[in-house]
Amino acid sequence: MARTLIIGYGNLDRTDDGVAFYVVNALRQRLGQPPLSPDETGSEQLTGERDSVFLRQLQPEWMETCASYDQVIFIDAHVHENTAELACVPVQSEYVPSPFTHHMTPPTFLALTQALYGREPAGRLLSIRGHDFDFHRGLSPAAAGQVAAAVEMILGMLEEASLSWGMEASCI
Amino acid sequence: MAVRKITIEPVTRIEGHARVTIHLNEQGGVEQTFFHVDEFRGMEKFSEGRPYFEMPQITQRICGICPVSHHLASAKACDEIAGVEPPRPAKLLRELMHMGQVVQSHGMHFFHLAAPDLIFGFDADPATRNVFGIIKANPELALKAVNLRRYGQQVIERLGSKRVHPYFTVPGGVNAPLKPADREAIASERETMVGYAQDAIGIAKGWIEENKKLADSFASFPSNYMGLVDQEGGLQLYDGDIRVRDAEGGLLAQFKPAEYLEYVAEHVEPWSFLKFPYYKKQGWPKGPYRVGPLGRLNVVDKIGTPLAAEEFKLFKQVRGGKPVEGSLYYHYTRLIEVLYAIERIGQLLDDPDILSKEVRSYGTVELSGHGVGVIEAPRGTLFHDYSTDPDGLLTRVNLIVATGNNNWAMNKSAGAVAEAFVNGGEIKEGVLNRVEAAIRCYDPCLSCSTHAIGQMPLEITLLAANGTVLDRVAR
Repeated sequence: MARTLIIGYGNLDRTDDGVAFYVVNALRQRLGQPPLSPDETGSEQLTGERDSVFLRQLQPEWMETCASYDQVIFIDAHVHENTAELACVPVQSEYVPSPFTHHMTPPTFLALTQALYGREPAGRLLSIRGHDFDFHRGLSPAAAGQVAAAVEMILGMLEEASLSWGMEASCI
Repeated sequence: MAVRKITIEPVTRIEGHARVTIHLNEQGGVEQTFFHVDEFRGMEKFSEGRPYFEMPQITQRICGICPVSHHLASAKACDEIAGVEPPRPAKLLRELMHMGQVVQSHGMHFFHLAAPDLIFGFDADPATRNVFGIIKANPELALKAVNLRRYGQQVIERLGSKRVHPYFTVPGGVNAPLKPADREAIASERETMVGYAQDAIGIAKGWIEENKKLADSFASFPSNYMGLVDQEGGLQLYDGDIRVRDAEGGLLAQFKPAEYLEYVAEHVEPWSFLKFPYYKKQGWPKGPYRVGPLGRLNVVDKIGTPLAAEEFKLFKQVRGGKPVEGSLYYHYTRLIEVLYAIERIGQLLDDPDILSKEVRSYGTVELSGHGVGVIEAPRGTLFHDYSTDPDGLLTRVNLIVATGNNNWAMNKSAGAVAEAFVNGGEIKEGVLNRVEAAIRCYDPCLSCSTHAIGQMPLEITLLAANGTVLDRVAR
């Protein structure tokens, strides 16, 4: 079975920026896994075929872990008005230098993973539109309304991967 | 009078947002250079009214790169307010976390931020002059860099539950002892990390040897220097007295952290949110000093770990025992400190008190109303100064952050490079990167160092000789 790592990332203290945390925990519930507390990343529970973590941001230390998976699904919030409330796109690895040292995108993350560890999992980015980025924990009604659909989408990707690993990655 | 302005915005490969403006005169030479810090934070002001014991958690959120430094400096200030002395095991554990911070911060800076310039050269194509280029050129080196950072982060995580914004200190100590399994895990990789640090020092020394003239002249100027020292005048990053030396290495002052306001003042300029600390007894503009790795190693008499001590002796030969002035030597001294921190981790782990469960002092708390905590953050001397009312609510907060201490030096460095490499005519990519590289030597953390509250008069204009707007040079 293809090993899949779901990486949700964002700032829990900035309302919808932390939507990935809620998606990860809802997914874990569906998979019969214990939920993460706000201070946990899930890094100590990576033993199964379908693992999930929540990070504040993508970090280079996670590349070695990711290189051992066949598929990585990134979950994040987005702010683009012309993008669907819930969107999923394949991630093409590409290193793009950033002026800011503390920001790494999924394409750069995968490109560096390949460069450092000689292996690159198939990548997908699932984004939920954020409507409220104020300083508190919780979700706006609009973002909260997308969590269940996001979980269904991820479960579909996991099922697809288990049935047909080796085919070109696609989003449902 | 300056008639053309070249703007570099944002300055790349540093933490935080800044811009540099270079004003040219009629002849195309550099008239004046400004390093503007445009970030607006307000931490000192919005902390007023908060309970003092919240500050170790609040202030570490100034930054995600160096939160531990603020967490620990704040804890020391809170200890004084609470009138509680942490037991020795707690101090050891706080210092252990601090060493993890130094390893990950310094390690990341050298490999990710500084090395592209040193390995590929200032004039290399920006498409390759970055961390990806490092990985392609030397993947083994890149893996060492990732593991060095990971090691430091895990030290922090093992003590404070999280790598960023850990939960660890409380007034009077820390919230949990070190577990034996965590001690073993940290110890097990230490020798490997020593090797990585030595490899990095070898790269830095090799580069300096091949580029000695540049290293000695690039952004090189006399200044005072500041850093903490232990009782024997040795390098001390967690706790000690504050020492200031002048440009010739003469001792200007050595004082307790609580006395800092007698020796340190801050100058303000209208074109930057970052203030300019200086040695008070010399006044402004004579009194600025440099902090951080170069500042520290210019201040101390020795280093108390064997391998780093040997490297320190070699470093002191650069200028025959006098303070080293070239800003590029920050990269070299930064790596000596990585080696020191890893060795110091070993000393701490071997201390018989490191696994003690006596990690917090209790007792009747009588609030003193005032506390000062000073620590050597990776980037330099960090001051946390709090005053409270009788109920412990903050009435006044003063933060002098490491990068703030280097503000004058960063301006001076950018200006020195601009004068040497910018001259009217065509503005080449490598030239602008040299100006940035000068700033990058100081590993500035601009999110931390800007905490003033006030207006936000940002100007982004380029003026031609006749006063019309030019195209902006930016990345």
